[in-house]
Amino acid sequence: MLFKDARIYQILFLCLFLVLGIGTRDWTLHPGMIGVAIVTCLVVQWGMLLVISHGSWVNTKEHEPKDEGQKTNNTKQRTKDKGAFISLLSALITALGLSLLLRTDHYSTIALASALAILSKFLLRVQGKHIFNPANFGIIAALTLTHDAWVSPGQWGESSWYALLFLGTGGLVLKRVGRWDTTIAFLVAYAGLEAVRNVWLGWTWDVWLHRLMSGSLLLFALFMITDPRTIPNARIGRLIWAGAIAIFAFILRNYFFVPTAVFWALFALAPLSILLDILFPATRFGWVAPDYATDEVMNRGTDVTSTLGEQDAHPTITGFNA
Amino acid sequence: MNFLRILIRFLWVGLVCLACFWIAPKAWAFCGFYVAKADASLYNQASQVAIARNGNQTVLTMANDYQGEVKDFAIVVPVPVVLQEEQVQIADPVIIQRLDAFSAPRLVEYFDPDPCTPVVFDAFPVPQAASESSGVRRDREDEALGVTVEAQFTVGEYDILILSARESSGLETWLIDNGYRIPQGARDLLHPYIRQGMKFFVAKVNLEEYETSGYQSLRPLKMMYESPRFMLPIRLGMVNAESAQDLIVYILSPEGQAEVTNYRTVKVPSDTEIPLFVQDEFNDFYKAMFTTAYDREGQNVALMEYAWDMAGCDPCSADPLTPDELRQAGVFWLTPDRPMNVFITRLHIRYTRDRFPEDLMFQQTRNREFFQGRYILRHHFTGEPTCEAGQQYQRSLPQRFEQEAQTLARLTGWNIQDIRDKLPQIQSRYLPWWQQFWVGLFGE
Repeated sequence: MLFKDARIYQILFLCLFLVLGIGTRDWTLHPGMIGVAIVTCLVVQWGMLLVISHGSWVNTKEHEPKDEGQKTNNTKQRTKDKGAFISLLSALITALGLSLLLRTDHYSTIALASALAILSKFLLRVQGKHIFNPANFGIIAALTLTHDAWVSPGQWGESSWYALLFLGTGGLVLKRVGRWDTTIAFLVAYAGLEAVRNVWLGWTWDVWLHRLMSGSLLLFALFMITDPRTIPNARIGRLIWAGAIAIFAFILRNYFFVPTAVFWALFALAPLSILLDILFPATRFGWVAPDYATDEVMNRGTDVTSTLGEQDAHPTITGFNA
Repeated sequence: MNFLRILIRFLWVGLVCLACFWIAPKAWAFCGFYVAKADASLYNQASQVAIARNGNQTVLTMANDYQGEVKDFAIVVPVPVVLQEEQVQIADPVIIQRLDAFSAPRLVEYFDPDPCTPVVFDAFPVPQAASESSGVRRDREDEALGVTVEAQFTVGEYDILILSARESSGLETWLIDNGYRIPQGARDLLHPYIRQGMKFFVAKVNLEEYETSGYQSLRPLKMMYESPRFMLPIRLGMVNAESAQDLIVYILSPEGQAEVTNYRTVKVPSDTEIPLFVQDEFNDFYKAMFTTAYDREGQNVALMEYAWDMAGCDPCSADPLTPDELRQAGVFWLTPDRPMNVFITRLHIRYTRDRFPEDLMFQQTRNREFFQGRYILRHHFTGEPTCEAGQQYQRSLPQRFEQEAQTLARLTGWNIQDIRDKLPQIQSRYLPWWQQFWVGLFGE
């Protein structure tokens, strides 16, 4: 049952990237930082779930589905426990994503970024859907609020071996999640813009290829902007959204010379997904596999995570974060 | 009770270690005596660039290792903005040499104490500071070619033009007409810079000024400008390059380490113990080690050789630069309150056309972790052993030498047998592990 959840694959792949990065890419990443990120994300997630489950924020009963009464109390409790456990997976993904991307000299900074990343999921919501990709939010928060955080866009290099690895693993996760359209839209738009620029400037094509083979760019396209819980629900919305991020990232990088353009672009345009959901309504994504509470989860469409209270059983997930 | 006491002791040790790790994850100190350095004089065709940058304000100093006739010297460098006369200066060549000497990879040495003398913990040895080795014409035609002379002035021994252009063919024609020898294929490379709105800094030697200056070689050029572009154009320099070129970049920042954003930044191998004979051939060692590291990383990385706060060094390969020298190196943000707020990063880039398709883009980070290319010689104790520990120490030496030999072979790609031949003679007393086992069990 566990392996039907795409997050398990995502966690395994992110762990693999961390091991590869530390082992082969000469990162200035201390294992203690990963530990602090993981512990902070899990503790804050657990804490917020506890707060919510005590009903202090939202009266969950108001939002209980009509068929809830058919369940026994035991079944409800089991589902709730599973949900709480499963929701920690998303916190773990956020922690791993932050570890992969954010660099700092101090444990307090990574802890702050982790805590704000998780809190953003619970506090910054519109109609039950969190606005920002948590890891992206954590990164931007650390870059703007602290004086010792940075991101190294060149940390993966441009090796074709890594490009294939990211494409393969990312493709696997996206196939399970069904959100490959976002990645394709982003990459096609970004590569197209870079190609036009390349032709206009008169650079040779190896310059274009070099810019697109960046491991950091591919990780972003495959694992971060594809977070199914923060992107628009409708396919047309996702295509517009990913295209807009690609255009904004392209402008930031080439005309404002921002090395971390993609993260700023995602952060700035994340709220656009709310508008796109209004314009193009569609069924909201749920992580849980069909044989696991899907009757209640998948078929209820946009009601699934419409309240914080329901998140206990059907947790809101972060999506990566790389 | 005993068990409890041991447990408590372990807990204390654990707590102390944890406290050190938590409070000061980077506070370990390097120590040892500096004995040699591998500076830029190792490389025949090394360009050196010092970039002092705070925000968008940049002071860039270029030192060229130009070997030909002075009258033939000319450079064309794309620059992000039009530079006026007061924004260009001549830099003292000594400043680049000082930056080089201060940040060069270094060899340090330690001396093993007599193993039979009781150990007395003392303060770390204080590192010794080492001595240093160390007019707009033809306007109409210009207009037709689409070239505008934005500024023209003489600084020191250089005649300088700042050009903007509309078309690369026009710029190429203009440069040829004005006596600059442009390599074949330069036009294609000038084009992207023109399209990006960049200007061209063109310098050639004013022979009269050069002769009266009394200098034997061309001095570095220093330019000051403000631009969000933090890059070094390397593609023009590769037009006719047949072999790899070495570029050493010193980035001076008030924040922390600098890194390349469109290629990987990798630290050179460091902090390894190597055989004593390397002291006599440190330059060969460093060149071989650098090449091995460069090859292993795929020949498309920037190798970091040094990253340190310029307020100090440990050990020092040269005295730290004084505030006045730092100002000459372009550091413009020093104030009486913070007279030494400078972090230096030394990046060594060996580039070729096929491995470096793009210009180098940089960013400053807030990473204040120290790093230095540092190689350790450990002199063994040569006195006669007078105790069991001494004999044990002597028996362990061959294994240590072998380890150092293997490290050296791995770092440099040198033949292991050639290295072994140069190891100290004590090698003959090496006991294989099984003999050591028997000796340990039954005595000699």
